[in-house]
Amino acid sequence: MAFAGGGLRRSTSVIRYFIRRLAALVPVAFGVVTLTFALVHLVPGDPVVAMLGDYAAPADVQALRHELGLDRPLWRQYVAFLYDLAHGDLGESISQREPVSRLIRERYPATVELAVAGLAAAILIAFPLGLIAGADPGGPADMGAMGFAILGISVPHLYLGPLLMIVFSLDLGWLPLTGRGGLSHLVLPALTLGAALAAILARMLRQSLIEVSDSDYMRTARAKGLSRPRALIVHGLRNALTPVVTLLGLEAGALLTGSIVTEIIFSWPGLGRLMIAAINNRDYPLVQGCVLVFALSYVAVNLATDLLYSAIDPRVRLSR
Amino acid sequence: MRKAVRTERRFFRTDAIAAIALVVIFAAGCAKAKPRTPAGYLQIDINTSPANLDPRVATDAISARIGELAYESLVRIDRDGAFVGDLAEKIERPAPNTIIFHLRRGVRFSDGRPLDARDVLYTYESLLDPNNHSVKRAGMSELAAIDAIDRYTVRMTTRRPYAAALGMALLGIVPRGTPLDARDAIVAPPGSGPFKVVAFERDEAVTLARNPYYPAPSGALGGIVMKVVPDATVRALELTEGICGFAENDAIQPELISYLSRQPRLRLIRSNGTTYQYLIFNFRDPRLRDPRVRRAIAYGIDRQAIVAALLRGNARLATGMLAPENWAYNGDVPRYPYDPAKARALLESAGYTRARPLRLIYKTTPEGRRLAEAIQAMLRQVGVAIEIRTNEFATFYSDLRSGNFDLAASQWVGVADPHQYYLIFDSRMTPQGGGNNRGDYANPEMDRLLEAGDAELDPAARRAIYARVQQIAAADLPYVSLWWIDNVAVIDRRLGGFEPFPNGSLLSLGAARWLSPAAASGAARP
Repeated sequence: MAFAGGGLRRSTSVIRYFIRRLAALVPVAFGVVTLTFALVHLVPGDPVVAMLGDYAAPADVQALRHELGLDRPLWRQYVAFLYDLAHGDLGESISQREPVSRLIRERYPATVELAVAGLAAAILIAFPLGLIAGADPGGPADMGAMGFAILGISVPHLYLGPLLMIVFSLDLGWLPLTGRGGLSHLVLPALTLGAALAAILARMLRQSLIEVSDSDYMRTARAKGLSRPRALIVHGLRNALTPVVTLLGLEAGALLTGSIVTEIIFSWPGLGRLMIAAINNRDYPLVQGCVLVFALSYVAVNLATDLLYSAIDPRVRLSR
Repeated sequence: MRKAVRTERRFFRTDAIAAIALVVIFAAGCAKAKPRTPAGYLQIDINTSPANLDPRVATDAISARIGELAYESLVRIDRDGAFVGDLAEKIERPAPNTIIFHLRRGVRFSDGRPLDARDVLYTYESLLDPNNHSVKRAGMSELAAIDAIDRYTVRMTTRRPYAAALGMALLGIVPRGTPLDARDAIVAPPGSGPFKVVAFERDEAVTLARNPYYPAPSGALGGIVMKVVPDATVRALELTEGICGFAENDAIQPELISYLSRQPRLRLIRSNGTTYQYLIFNFRDPRLRDPRVRRAIAYGIDRQAIVAALLRGNARLATGMLAPENWAYNGDVPRYPYDPAKARALLESAGYTRARPLRLIYKTTPEGRRLAEAIQAMLRQVGVAIEIRTNEFATFYSDLRSGNFDLAASQWVGVADPHQYYLIFDSRMTPQGGGNNRGDYANPEMDRLLEAGDAELDPAARRAIYARVQQIAAADLPYVSLWWIDNVAVIDRRLGGFEPFPNGSLLSLGAARWLSPAAASGAARP
């Protein structure tokens, strides 16, 4: 009975925590859009000139500025922008003349797909490497796995991407070179994006496994006759996961927002490329929309990580 | 305890199953690799995505290239930069303000509808409608009226006698009734060109299939896929592996040209280009108003060395904006071969010495950074200190238009008619006045000639006017002419019939075809 009560108390606290975090999104979003609005309007450059080009008649420039509302005082543009945003309207792209929400909707799945695949690739590489290295610290397998990990951290996307392309697409012919399509198109960008994270995760997991292997319950498990690798996998891994998940949460947000280079190398039609083009065109609404979506995604991933903690480790209390 | 162990085992087992599943998915992915370009199609790699394919609003270079393949206009520009009939089989100028276009009969849009004067009128009217906010409306400011004399005859009336009026006839024609709602203009309207746009995925690819109503030579390309590949190295890999069969100019890094030309399946086609690169002086700066200073800077730059080292020889030294291919070109103008001694002497006579060097702010884009550094090093030798400011394009462009520079590097692409001189050198054509005289250059004789050149309809008299314009421009030096960039195309050896245009147009791909293996290996021999 007492146990059930604890569970109830626990789930209400999770819900309360979740609501509090969701409410905290509002000031975050407000801060992000305000900062972005200020930044894009402060840098030199004019979206109308970028759009109309060299031969625009001054009257046309003026007319278009008026139609887009760019001739209003900045504070009024800001208030109008906030008003629209509060009504769920991200505005219309200046350069593409389409709703910002539609453009983002077109691209966001590609970015999420790449980030998730990158995360999966990182985990798939990191777990075996970390386990091998953590099972026999200082041994040859550890040296090999950690050497590999160092390489993963050190090689930039800019180099790794084309290298993977040459080996797996051009020489072996197994995978397509660029573009978004089926799963086959996802493999190389995911490996490129996930390599550095895999390396960091593998090192973290190794360290964490070495630490738990000194604990009492591990000694008990060994004393019962379990082999070291078996004890490590069956008893040690879950306890070693908490710091790894922390890192995973932080880095997953970075994967989502940091995939621009990978998007360019692999001609991946994601949000990063859309945002770069928007910045170049001084497409204010589109830049603001992209930054907002990136920021909210980052916050959402971090929230998911915090919730995941309590699932992995019941000792973790969600209160802050 | 036992329960706990079982839970952990299950936890581990789920993990293992998930991992195996992911590996299987990866492997399945590997097995499914297949090219996306349909058989018989040519894949062209481009570096940026077109923004909008409707010819009434499209302005970027890639959209224009695609537009030439999918749409026909009343006239087009030939290799000499002259206007020739396209939809118009005959062009008359019965009065200084009037142009009559006689349309070809039997032309059909890619959806089968016949094309006649009503489609031409509709295309222009929808562009000119202020509610449509077409960015191309400004280019039609000299157009007073357009009307149809009969079903196959169109009349254009200009506001004044205007020699460059045919520039307004370069608009791709769309079927009447095609809405110009830019919000829905993602897929292009039908056109009467050799190809039709069948798919447009922004930032991914544009797919063009043959227009069934446009006669094709035997063995012609089944279609074209323009694939957006933003990374230069990847474009080179796709060319090397035969995934891509064509790339040109901006899509090829100069450093990679010699590597690509050694690849057995590729052919390098280098031809004279008309893209003109220059340095612009800001006349608002009293020091730069002194012609001796401008000449000193022109003499102080070793353009030959820069072309050889930075551009790998892929350019010709320019004497002015118009390239020798242009009908109005005049090469008999003052020239400025590299002469540091002369540069120093000119600067000294203008009052600049080593003790008091000339300091200038030079603006450029990240792509122009290396060029800027070479020019900086050369000018330091003659006593001009250059401070380089590199900005991304939007900031650079904003500075250029607002006159916020001493010296800046830029280029003109696709100049055909010498009317362009009016827009860049007439004293009233400042950016605020709707032109591109960004350095505030003013010379009354130049103004007079440029206005006369615009109104002169006799080609020989017009050529004489612009011959003088080119001489004054080279003597006054509002720009230091650097070079005309060569056109470089790297193509699949099996591709026959591609003919480069000086302005980089892909028009000849309409009649290009796949060669038989024997013919292709014949083409392989130098």
